[in-house]
Amino acid sequence: MITIEHLKKTFKKNKVEAVKDVSLEIRDGEIFALLGPNGAGKTTTMRMLSTLLLPTSGKIFFDGKDLLKNDEEVRSRIAFLTNEIRLDGQFTPDELADYYGGLYEMTQEQINSRRDELFDYFGISEFRNRRYDTFSTGMKQKTSLAICLLHDPDTIIFDEPTNGLDILTQQLIEEYLLKLKEQGKCIILSTHILDLVGRMADRVGIIVDGKSVFCGTVAELPESQGVETIDQAFIKLYKENHEEKAIVGRHGNN
Amino acid sequence: MRGVGKIFHHEMQKILKEKSLLFGFILLPVLTLFVTVGISMLRPKTSGENVDSYSMFFYGLEIDSYNIGALDDKQIWIKKVDENPADFVLSDDFHHSDVLVDFSDVEHVTIYYYESNSVSSYLKMSAEAFVRESFDTAYKGQVTGASFRSVELTDINEKDTTNRMIAMLLPYMLILPLTANIANFASDTIAGDKARGTFYQVMLSPVPPLSLIMGKIFSVSLISLVSSAVYIGIDILGSRICEAAGVKDVFGFAGVSVSMSQILLILLYAVLLCYLFSNLGVLISLFCKDQNQAQTAQIPVTLVCTLASMMSMFRFGTSPSSHYLIPVYNICLIFQDLLNARAKMDNMLMVAISLLVLAVGVLILTLASYKSEKVRT
Repeated sequence: MITIEHLKKTFKKNKVEAVKDVSLEIRDGEIFALLGPNGAGKTTTMRMLSTLLLPTSGKIFFDGKDLLKNDEEVRSRIAFLTNEIRLDGQFTPDELADYYGGLYEMTQEQINSRRDELFDYFGISEFRNRRYDTFSTGMKQKTSLAICLLHDPDTIIFDEPTNGLDILTQQLIEEYLLKLKEQGKCIILSTHILDLVGRMADRVGIIVDGKSVFCGTVAELPESQGVETIDQAFIKLYKENHEEKAIVGRHGNN
Repeated sequence: MRGVGKIFHHEMQKILKEKSLLFGFILLPVLTLFVTVGISMLRPKTSGENVDSYSMFFYGLEIDSYNIGALDDKQIWIKKVDENPADFVLSDDFHHSDVLVDFSDVEHVTIYYYESNSVSSYLKMSAEAFVRESFDTAYKGQVTGASFRSVELTDINEKDTTNRMIAMLLPYMLILPLTANIANFASDTIAGDKARGTFYQVMLSPVPPLSLIMGKIFSVSLISLVSSAVYIGIDILGSRICEAAGVKDVFGFAGVSVSMSQILLILLYAVLLCYLFSNLGVLISLFCKDQNQAQTAQIPVTLVCTLASMMSMFRFGTSPSSHYLIPVYNICLIFQDLLNARAKMDNMLMVAISLLVLAVGVLILTLASYKSEKVRT
């Protein structure tokens, strides 16, 4: 279980408060969707969860353990996949699996077994000896996903995982996420596709202007806002919590 | 240090898989062999008339068959030279305008410097200018200081002069390609990874930051050292080929004769130097977003190091102990001392310790920087 308490992140360089106050609870064996408009602070929150960024204040606990004090242990238990993350293009999927498996201290036997399983599932097996940089976007994404999941992480953090992928690859990834959920893994999804949230997520967290404004089940979301759909609830929450001042300020007015 | 071997292995594989890098840093130097040999065979023009053959040891460089031009009034100088036309040593307070001598009627004159001579570097480097200027001044009847005297040859002998050339050039020959190589490889290893998006995947692994940084530093050090060794080897090989072919190069290359202990000590210091430079390169690379930015940021380091190595080329005699504390310059001095067989243990230790301390300092700074926002965003 992941507990986030009053998380805050201010970037020193440009003094931007990307995350102002985020508190969430994410449980094992569920798909948790993190929603919010562009620039709300979702990616920054996920980067802090994955230890890529240090919070300015606030706490993150993984199964009761402070993330900052146990960052190496936490990194060995999580996977984080975004579109920004790539693999070395000169290597084949086989070589990449050996390398990353080694970094996670997996034995060669464990690596081989996981590699075969994941490569077969994502249809990479036949390309396992081809250089990564010769792959199509979809194949690269699938390879990245397979490598990310190689060490069998407990928590999987996906920042818009199906962006730019064809419908078949999207479906393949969605099915795999459901499979992981069945295995009791904790999956955190950041997405703009509310339809995907309705189909897959168990619980939802909404961030607006760096603040968490909702955390509950998918069913509770429309109910809590007195509307019928997730879309309507999301828009209502956004309008109620969005700081107009911030936008006015950006245009240089009072 | 968990995972350092894996990072190192992966980085080395990455470099070895990049054919263009290999070509530029390993194969290209081999191709320069032909250029080295070609340059070595270049010889100054002779006019055919009024040319007298003489040879001159010029801080270990022998220049012969040189056209020194005609001179009408030779009386004074011939007389002086007649005292002992074979060998001369210049005094410590020697300055080129003080010595005006016409060698044009002398078949063979050899000039030796004392190592402690504080003569201007310009003079030592430019034999042609020296000879011509001296003659011009003599011809015009200007100051004739003429402290030209026959002196016994003491500390200068064939063995001593053997490594003079390589000792003078080695720091430059080593540091120039080394800094250029490290700037390139270090820029690629982190800033390049960031630009390609591959750095974050490694940062997400449970490998401790120290292992990640050290793995990258070791790979940059090794490949840069190998590449630089190829450059130096090719330069020496070029001269050897000339020597074997019976052709002396423009400087009359004095040859190389080094013992195994000298080679090992030079290698040890080269490794230390590589490690220090790689640390610096990785630190700079850590703060840059892509290779271009990193390579631009490395330029000042490359320039300063090249300048330090060039300065050492104009150093003659022994240097004060304080010079052995100046980073980069100190290692140039040690290379020269080792090749000239005059390295002192206290200086060697001082240089080794100062390099290590500096490298560890940079490593600590790199580790502290690893957690900064600029590196991670």
